[in-house]
Amino acid sequence: MDVYLQQLTQQLVNGLTLGSIYALIAIGYTMVYGILFMLNFAHGEVYMIGGFAGWWALHLLSRNNVPIMNAAIVISLMLIIAMGVSGLLGMTIERFAYRPLRKAPRMNLLLSALGVSIFLQNMVLTYQGAEIRFFHVSSLIPESIRVFHIGNVVFSFMRILVIFITFMLMALLTVMVKKTKVGKAMRATAQDTEAAAFMGVDVDRIIVFVFLIGSALGGAAGTLVGLLFTQVDYYVGFQAGLKGFTAAVLGGIGNIFGAMMGGIILGLVEALATTFFSAAYKDVVAFVILILVLIFRPWGLMGEKVPEKV
Amino acid sequence: MKKATLLFFLLVVTGLFFSAAGYSADVSKGIHVGNAGAFTGDAAAPCMEIFNSSQLAIDEWNERGGIQGVKIKHIMGDDAMDPAQGVNVAQKFVSDKLIYGVVGPPMSHIAQATLKIYGGANLVCITSAASKPELTEQGYKHFFRVNARNDAHGPNCALFMKKQLKAKRIAVLNEKVAYCENLAKETIKALKKLGITDIMQDTIVGGAKDFSPVLTKAKAFNPDVLFFVATAAPDQAIGVRQAKELGIKATFFGTEGARDKKDFIEASEGAAEGAYVYHFGPDIYSIPEAGSYVKIFEKTYDVLSGFGPPAYEAMNILLTAIDKAAKDGDISREEVRKYVSQTENYKGILGFPITFDDKGDLKGGATYFFKVAGKDFKQIAVMTGK
Repeated sequence: MDVYLQQLTQQLVNGLTLGSIYALIAIGYTMVYGILFMLNFAHGEVYMIGGFAGWWALHLLSRNNVPIMNAAIVISLMLIIAMGVSGLLGMTIERFAYRPLRKAPRMNLLLSALGVSIFLQNMVLTYQGAEIRFFHVSSLIPESIRVFHIGNVVFSFMRILVIFITFMLMALLTVMVKKTKVGKAMRATAQDTEAAAFMGVDVDRIIVFVFLIGSALGGAAGTLVGLLFTQVDYYVGFQAGLKGFTAAVLGGIGNIFGAMMGGIILGLVEALATTFFSAAYKDVVAFVILILVLIFRPWGLMGEKVPEKV
Repeated sequence: MKKATLLFFLLVVTGLFFSAAGYSADVSKGIHVGNAGAFTGDAAAPCMEIFNSSQLAIDEWNERGGIQGVKIKHIMGDDAMDPAQGVNVAQKFVSDKLIYGVVGPPMSHIAQATLKIYGGANLVCITSAASKPELTEQGYKHFFRVNARNDAHGPNCALFMKKQLKAKRIAVLNEKVAYCENLAKETIKALKKLGITDIMQDTIVGGAKDFSPVLTKAKAFNPDVLFFVATAAPDQAIGVRQAKELGIKATFFGTEGARDKKDFIEASEGAAEGAYVYHFGPDIYSIPEAGSYVKIFEKTYDVLSGFGPPAYEAMNILLTAIDKAAKDGDISREEVRKYVSQTENYKGILGFPITFDDKGDLKGGATYFFKVAGKDFKQIAVMTGK
């Protein structure tokens, strides 16, 4: 029984780490959907390129796999560069792939998103190659503090750091959306684009801003996964995008807090399903839960029932 | 009138006869050989090693003047580890009438998906890595392998865990693909025969980058040995790293894909120290006949992981057969297939003579075991089923 309890606690730690990453990715999906009512399928690729940007930052700041400056600065720089690259990429995608199609039927936007996704994946394949890039992280964190034991539950420093950073980013986003002027404008645009425009909100700028923030968070997730699981390649965006999208739908697409919750729930469910069933069924369990939620609450856990516009 | 009809009929029959007999051509039109594998994706590194080693063999043949004065052309078919793309590659190869043989596919699930296409066209395939037993149990005559089958590796791995690692409790984690599932199944069967019954089995998802949940479960089982059955070295590196992070005390025992210095030892940043892996090929550096191959390969390409030598061997066996078939200036796929099947006591660089049995399998079949020491693998044991 004791062993079982330990295992469950450990799974909570595992699930929370993965879940917080899913949450970061889900936010990007949900913010774009909230304003444009489109599924930005290129978001997984933005995440992947964030991972590559982080890898390059680490690579350039290391000699023989040992960082040339303080590890805290290196990690901060990795995150800043990854968020910058992904944020800019998101803005570019919006400008060239989505804005020209804003008046077109939704299906065209969706196809454009798929096209961007394939384009980015192949671009990375061409310029970075197919081989996996390894994050040499072991010298970032001294041996003595790399893992903690509480009872028999193991906490690695990197996990704690990742959870801490994701929650910080989510808290910042929450404050921004709730308290600042631009946050208010975002909420207004999401609620009714035309009315917001009448009230003097520059809708175009808000949309660009949403892409910037959502993509930057995706890029941060890519780098955090690299720090945690130490690998990135051109194909990681697909799986991550799928999970992020699932988390967004689970939480109620369009709702930022729903996306955060959805991500964490998804991560926890996957980890716990491994203990209770076979690991082969973890995705099955996760998707069964998604389907059940959608049957009883089609608008997701936190989503609002929006009356159909006529 | 009657005569004309008869003549026409005869013509049609002869035409049919020749088309049924297969395409046969003048050698001087060209000789192509295919190489099917996952040259992009997670297994790109070992597959490129296979391709480059085959290329070396071809270069050597071409330097010696080719076959009947014709330079051999090497054609790459990338399946990206996806059976659907593997089928496309097979169709492309089959329709290229100048391809007389194929090296690969190295992955069991791709080999399985393409058996019918290559078999239907009588195009000989020599794989250097696909080890799923059923591949040679389906009556196809065109499929050969220079590597041992899973059902040889499984019992050998079981023996190794019992005799060398003195294991009593074993956790087996396997990826959900043909090669890994079979190996896990065969190993567990053999372990039970050896009297080891404390076994836990669960699955991992390849390329998922996070195995902590399933490793957490394995930790609770408290095994002596963690047998980690995954295709690609990067996944094995994550496995060994996360096992260490979780404080799993069990000996890590990885599969053949892990025998990769860069993607396993270096990628795990020290976590792999003391881990064991098995491989179907011996330590190539210890075989004198392989000296020149190793030297040229490492000069031209990169460090060897172990996937290259069998591919070099497979390509040489294929080219030897093509050479025999082309002796009379005329060549057909059936001739090449026949000569490959007659391969007996071929002495190449693998350190043991190669003979194919009726099914196309290697006669005999050994499994080699290595321990990670520093930045390299050290061969510590060979098991041959006893």
